[in-house]
Amino acid sequence: MLKHIKIEALRMLRNKRYAVFVVAFPLGFYLLYSNLWGDQVDATTGVKASVILMVSMGAYGALASSIMSTAVPWAQERESGWLRQLQITPLPSWSFIVTKLVVSMLLTLPALVLVGLAAVLTQGVSLPPGAWAGLVVAMWLGVIPFAALGLAIGSLTRPDTAQPLAMIGMFGLALLGGLWIPLDIMPETMRSIAKVLPSNDYATIGWQIVAGETPSASAVLGILGWGVALIAFAIFAFRRATVRA
Amino acid sequence: MNAISFSKVTRAYGDVLAVDGLDLDIPPGRTVALLGPNGAGKSTAINMLLGLLRPTSGQIKIFGETPERAIARGDVGAMLQEGTLIPELTVAETVGFVRSLYPDPLPLDEILRMAELTDLAGRRAGRLSGGQTQRVRFALAIAGAPRLLILDEPTAAMDVESRRAFWDNIRAYAAQGRTVLFATHYLEEADENSDRVVVIARGRIVADGTAAEIKAGVGGQTVSFTLGTQSVAGLDALPGVMAVEITSGRAVLRTSDPDATVDALYRKTTLDVRGLEIAGADLEDAFLALTQES
Ligand SMILES: Nc1ncnc2c1ncn2[C@@H]1O[C@H](COP(=O)(O)OP(=O)(O)OP(=O)(O)O)[C@@H](O)[C@H]1O
Ligand SMILES: [Mg+2]
Repeated sequence: MLKHIKIEALRMLRNKRYAVFVVAFPLGFYLLYSNLWGDQVDATTGVKASVILMVSMGAYGALASSIMSTAVPWAQERESGWLRQLQITPLPSWSFIVTKLVVSMLLTLPALVLVGLAAVLTQGVSLPPGAWAGLVVAMWLGVIPFAALGLAIGSLTRPDTAQPLAMIGMFGLALLGGLWIPLDIMPETMRSIAKVLPSNDYATIGWQIVAGETPSASAVLGILGWGVALIAFAIFAFRRATVRA
Repeated sequence: MNAISFSKVTRAYGDVLAVDGLDLDIPPGRTVALLGPNGAGKSTAINMLLGLLRPTSGQIKIFGETPERAIARGDVGAMLQEGTLIPELTVAETVGFVRSLYPDPLPLDEILRMAELTDLAGRRAGRLSGGQTQRVRFALAIAGAPRLLILDEPTAAMDVESRRAFWDNIRAYAAQGRTVLFATHYLEEADENSDRVVVIARGRIVADGTAAEIKAGVGGQTVSFTLGTQSVAGLDALPGVMAVEITSGRAVLRTSDPDATVDALYRKTTLDVRGLEIAGADLEDAFLALTQES
């Protein structure tokens, strides 16, 4: 399994699309936005925009990464015969899905770490050690529902459908979840959609941590609920995709 | 115990019977060719053997176990008819990963050497030619040192020279007491590389034996002579004769016993026999005769 994790991670890191959308995008936008508005201060919490943006862009990068590293590669493996190649080896299929999930989580780290580093180095962001630790753990574990969503997409669709679906899922969740534009300036309907999306819960937990608050129950329960539902859905879809015809 | 055993195996796709009551036992240590035209049911049979497809009815065993258990034990390696690799990974990474999945694999160097990939070890799979990709897929099939090696049209993308080298490698692998089953349309390939040929058409076995037996079994030889304007009546009643054809003034008699046929042709008929020729049917004729009859 370690070897499987290693080669799966290697192949994604060598993939240009992954590098662009998942690493360059969030990092580039963080640098751009924080240079423009980094010094503004949030009226209610008193947190600087450079810190909030760090969470938003880190969340976007992690979310994008977890969907990108699952949906399309997995749909392609089914289509290209690589899945069959592995099905005729002793590799058990539970190990296959667990590996995909673990790799997808590992691959969110470059985006999270780079955005964090950029925040510290260019904007002088500093947080208490406890907040950093909480933030990393929350941002990291919080991607599980999105990875599950990506696996479900990859299990149920062919690569040419998985590609647009993954893009829609990734940008849709990011945009509607308030990662690109703050919730306060959204029209009312969009805001009510945002409130039920796991991407908003995910980022909210991060924003609350950097504001020195404990994550709210509604956000934590929201993402847990989504996580359970999406994991169940992913397992169902994965079974369907790997069962013998 | 047989390496492979199909008993009364049937597989339907809708109302198409791709495999129709297949009974086949292959003892360990043999190299067997599954020979048949397009759509004969070779891949369907192989995919059922590999547990990728479920038989509609019947039972399949590999070394006395279900295919799933045999695969989980690492007894089976296979090259499927289609399949690509992960383009971002190198040859050595891909082969190294697959070998690590088996309990008792061959050393990486040896696999690369046997598949003639040593010089390509560091190349990414996305940059290999079709024939090179095929060799990597062969390497994946033997990586776990499986007792049973299954190859579905393995040489499809190879040129003549690679094909020859490929079969030399398979022979070396099989020589260590392993069992090999391969599907092919190429009669020569079946003849030269197997010790048993199972001919399959429309999902059924239509012949099973050595290449020589199969040739003999379909009236392996022909006796022909210039007929001119003489009558054909009675030719089909001569000893050994199974079929009579007239092509451009020559009578061609397909026979199981050319000596008896020629003898009777001279002694028992009043024909003026000129330009007599006796020819052994090649496997190609045998194959066409077998797979075309309805
Ligand atoms: N997924 C499928 N759905 C419907 N019919 C199928 C399917 N797969 C195969 N068939 C049919 O089953 C029959 C046997 O196909 P199979 O692929 O086993 O043949 P084959 O001997 O491997 O042929 P080839 O030499 O072309 O590879 C064919 O008539 C084919 O059209
Ligand atoms: Mg086939």
